[in-house]
Formats: sequence, C-alpha cells, structure tokens
Amino acid sequence: MTALFFAEPVLSQRSFSSTYDSSRQVKVQGIVTRIDWVTPTAFFFIDVRDATGTVANWAVDIGSPIELERDGWKRSALRIGDAVAVEGVPARNEARQASAKSVVLTRTGKRLFAPSTTRRAAAPPAPAPRWPDGQIRLGPPPGKTGYWGSASTKILVENTAAKIPMSDDGLLVNIADADKVAPFLPWAKAVYEYRQRRFLRDDPYSRCVPAGGPRQFQMPNGFQFIEQKDLGRILVFLGGGNRNWRVIFTDGRPLGTAAEAVPSYYGFSVGRWEKDTLVVESLGYNEKFWLTSAGLPHTEALHLTERFTRSDLNTLKYEVTVEDPRTYTRPWTGSWTIQWVPDQDIQEYFCEDNSDFVR
Amino acid sequence: MERRAFHILCLFTCLAVVVTVFAQEGHPLTGTWSGDWGPTPTQRNHITLVMSWDGKSVTGTINPGPDAIQIGTVALDVTNWTVRIEADGKDQSGNAVHISAEGKIDDLSSAHRKLAGTWTQGTTKGDFRISRD
Repeated sequence: MTALFFAEPVLSQRSFSSTYDSSRQVKVQGIVTRIDWVTPTAFFFIDVRDATGTVANWAVDIGSPIELERDGWKRSALRIGDAVAVEGVPARNEARQASAKSVVLTRTGKRLFAPSTTRRAAAPPAPAPRWPDGQIRLGPPPGKTGYWGSASTKILVENTAAKIPMSDDGLLVNIADADKVAPFLPWAKAVYEYRQRRFLRDDPYSRCVPAGGPRQFQMPNGFQFIEQKDLGRILVFLGGGNRNWRVIFTDGRPLGTAAEAVPSYYGFSVGRWEKDTLVVESLGYNEKFWLTSAGLPHTEALHLTERFTRSDLNTLKYEVTVEDPRTYTRPWTGSWTIQWVPDQDIQEYFCEDNSDFVR
Repeated sequence: MERRAFHILCLFTCLAVVVTVFAQEGHPLTGTWSGDWGPTPTQRNHITLVMSWDGKSVTGTINPGPDAIQIGTVALDVTNWTVRIEADGKDQSGNAVHISAEGKIDDLSSAHRKLAGTWTQGTTKGDFRISRD
C-alpha cells in the first residue's frame, strides 16, 4: 500500500516535450476499448494485436476536449468497438502511449479529431467594448459571454531575441541557444539548461502546482477578467489550474515590498490604467513554480510589470517585464497576444483528472 | 493496533507526498539543509546550514542558535554543481576553528536535494551529508 503512495506523483499536466518524443513516430491499429473525454486531455484506448497474436492496450492522446469541441468534434465521433489506425508521437518512456497526429476510422476511412481547416469561430471584428465612463472592458460586451482563450505562444523569450528554434512548449532545439532566451545570471542559466536537458519533466506544474507568473496567461483553458469597479479590484479567473484566481487591486493602494508580502504563486498585484492599457505591478512571489513551461527560474525578488492592451474585441496584447536581479542581469520583456472566445464560458478543469493516463 | 499503525503510516505517507509537491525552484542553495558530518561512519555530528542567495553571493549560518557560525564564503561551480564552504568559528572549548567543506549537489530538481562531500573542522577531517529540508 505504501509503495502505491510513493509511486510517481500526480503527472497529469506534463508538457508535451516531457511526455512525448517528437523525434520518433509510431503507427498502430486496433479496436477501441475505452474513451475518456475529459479535461485537460482526452484519451481513447485501443487493443493492438502484434504479429504473434499478443494483445497490448495503447493509450492515445487526442488533446484537449475543449479544443476538439471548438473544432466541431464530439465524443460520439468514436465508439467502443470501432477499429482505428493511429499515427502519432510515442511517449518518451516505454509506455504504450502516443499523441495522435492522425486517427482514421477503418470502416469509413474518415479522419477523426483533425483540427478544423477553417478558422475557429471568432466574434465578428469590432472595437474593444468600453464601460460607460469610456474605459476599456476586459470582459465581454454587456449582455454577452466569453473568455480569453489561446495564447499566440506557450513560450516566453525576450522580445529583442531573434527567433530561437524550439518546440511549442519551449524545449530548445539547440541548448547553446539558452543565452538568447533571457539575460540569465550564471546559476540561472545552468538551472535552465539542466531542466531543458531533462526534457522539462521536473516542471512543478505537472504536480498540479499553479501556473504562477506570466504562465497563467498561456494555459489552454484560458482565463476571464471580472472587473469589480465598485470594489476597486479585478479578479482573474484562471481556467488552466485548479479553479485558481488572482486579485489585482485598482483602488490605489501601494505595492509595498517583496519582504512585506506573503510569498504566493500569483503575487500581490496593483493595477492602474494608462490610457487604454491596464498596467499591473506585482511582487511577493514564491519560488515553487517555473515562469514558463520551458523552465525559466526566478527568486522571491521577482517583480513583474504586466501590460494588458485590448486592441479590439478579439485581441488582447499581453506584455510582461521581468525584473529579478537575483536571477537575471537586467530587466527584460516578452509579449504575446490572446484570442477572445465569444459566447462561451471556461469549462471545468481539475489537474488531477488525467493522473492515471500518463503511465 | 494494526489499524492505528496503518493510520500513522498513511499520515506519514501523506506528509511525504505533500512535501514532495512544494519544491523550491529558485537558487539551488537557498534554504535550510540538515544532516551530519564526522570523521568516521559512527562518529557523527548533527549540522544545520541555512543559506540564502542575494544576487551576488550566498550567505549563511552553520548551526543557527547560541553556537552559530557565520559562513564566510560559499562558492558554487554551476558547471558541475560543486560547492565549497569556508567558515571560521569556535569549538566547544572556545578555541578558534576553521571549517572547510567541499561537496556536490545531487538530485538538483528534488525538493530534498542532497549535498555531500568532505568536511574539515580544525585538524579533524571527515565527510558530510546534508539534504535540503
């Protein structure tokens, strides 16, 4: 019993690079035995018979069911007992698990769970909505629903850096490019490289630790602003963690110092409007998370300045300046954009949901 | 009785799991480390080291409390994760004593990463093993 408790910790939201080996391919055919249409990752399982007649059960990762549904796919597209052919990327370990690149239903020849070839439904182009006082609204227009969904990137690198070859989750193609990512102090660069060489498998987020700092705005399940102007604060509901939220005070209170703050994943934040940009300064971070999936380190001296600019209804520009003199030689800035998801709400997601599928 | 023992086992197991979750991901030396040093496997002395990184150097204390010894220098070689610690304090008789320790960090990504190597205190040479609390 104790051995069971000490088995692999909860590994439900590991980065792609830590789980799968993109340098290899796998092809399997089999009969569907189980379908788990759950967040954050949907799986189906197939019995695969080899040349000797031996049957092995494979887990096939088909990605976020939220993304699949946005592409028009339903759980009912596949049934238990269906024969399918799968091409994909195998797991790094010897597990019988693959991330599907192609799933073909044998009886019809139809390709399942493929991304939509047409652009996902976005709200029609429109100016950014505003409050009666003229200030930009960060949430939906009056009478509408919606939330901020996919970020344009899952990585954070200095804006002035040339394009650095890396995977979608920040695994460098060439470790020698580490210097270009951010102005690291020597220890921080060494830690970053160490994490990269281990294929990011030590990511605390994979153990259900919140995605603190800038990473909170790169989570697949998105986020939502709740602007409570009468209370002088903005709540940020985060879809990529265990129902986490963050508070940004806009009532004019001072930021204080890191030494006074109780260290936390989202820090202590105060915001102010500079024309149409919400500028948020935060400090008081703990050291229990990575700044990005790629393994950027930080210390409790971290001070973030975030700028949120909603240029139109559908687009939010996020820019973050990282100051941490114990980790980086100077302040540096990265940015990305985030797409509005109209007429929908953030779906339920708990980190533990898929813990038994990564095996 | 068996049931009580099982509950205690579960409690300790859960605590172990919780500690695993809350790792420290900042500077690898920051934090409280404890373990022992000694000249032989049976002659051991408990030691606690508290270290912190201020952006320029690692500072710290050996055995915080009335007999605390301030660490003079800590040198971390990030190419191989070796650490050299130098400190000057007093022994139990009040005589000046120099401490020099050199070790290597093991299991860097673990919340309970380890540091082990040689420990010289005055004229006594031995080894030390500490892990991050």
